[in-house]
Amino acid sequence: MGVLENKSRARLFYKYLSKVYDQINPFIWNEEMRTAAIDLLDIERDDRVLDIGCGTGFATEGLLDRVDTVYGLDQSPHQLEKAYEKFGKRDGPVNFHLGDAERLPFRENSFDVVWSSGSIEYWPNPVDALEECRRVAKPGGQVLIVGPNYPNSSVFQRLADAIMLFYDEREADRMFREAGFVDFEHHTMGPDYNPEIAITTVATVPE
Amino acid sequence: MREDLMDIICCPLDKHELDLEVIRRDDDEIMEGRLVCTECGEEYPVEDGIPNLLPPDMREESPA
Repeated sequence: MGVLENKSRARLFYKYLSKVYDQINPFIWNEEMRTAAIDLLDIERDDRVLDIGCGTGFATEGLLDRVDTVYGLDQSPHQLEKAYEKFGKRDGPVNFHLGDAERLPFRENSFDVVWSSGSIEYWPNPVDALEECRRVAKPGGQVLIVGPNYPNSSVFQRLADAIMLFYDEREADRMFREAGFVDFEHHTMGPDYNPEIAITTVATVPE
Repeated sequence: MREDLMDIICCPLDKHELDLEVIRRDDDEIMEGRLVCTECGEEYPVEDGIPNLLPPDMREESPA
C-alpha cells in the first residue's frame, strides 16, 4: 500500500498540496490532455455531469465549456476552497459536495457522465470506487477515468509503487471488469516529452 | 445547496433517502442544515451552503 492510500494521510498531504497544486499540475495533466479526454465523451449541454475528486477544479473548468452545470465532489475542504474561488461557492455553475469516492452520496442512475481525473491513484480500493461510478451513472451513460500510467523506467516504478497506485492497460482491464463494466477502451495521453504519462479509460454503463 | 439536490443525494453508507432539516435558508439556497438518513439516522451537516456527505470516519474533526 502506498503512503497516500491512507485517507487521513492523503487528507494531510492535500492540505499542503492545495497551496501549489495548480502551479505544478500542468506538468502531468495539462489543458491539451484535458481537451483530448473531454473529446472522448458524448456530452450534451444539459447533461448531468459528476466530477469525482474535482479538487481545485481544473477538469471542472474544462467540462464547463461543454455543459451548463457540473456536480463536484471532493474529500478535501482545502482543495475545494480553491475551486470556490474560481467558480463561486454557491451561485456559480458548480454544485459542490464533500464526499468519498468509494462511498458516493448519490442515488443510482443519477448522472449522464461520471468523470474523475487525477483521483483514482489515491483511492485505497479503486474497484469499489469504480463500482460506485457505475451505480450512480445512468445505463448507457459514460464513466471516464484519468489516472497515471505505470511508468516504464524502473526508478520511477519504484517511486510509483511507494507513493500511490499506478496502473497499465492490463490492470485497468481487470479493475473495470471487476467493477462490472463490459464495454470500455483505454487511451494513453501526455505531453510530447512523455506521451503516455496518463491513461484514460472511457466506459459505457451497461443497460 | 438547493433543495432539488434532494432528488439525487442519498446516505453514503446505506444509500437510503435523506431527510432535510433546514436551519437557515437564503432565498433558494439552504445555508445551514442537517441531512438525516431515514434508515440509519446518521446526520450529515450542510455548512455555509455546502453539504458535507463524507462518511463520519472521514470528517475533518474525526481522528481517522
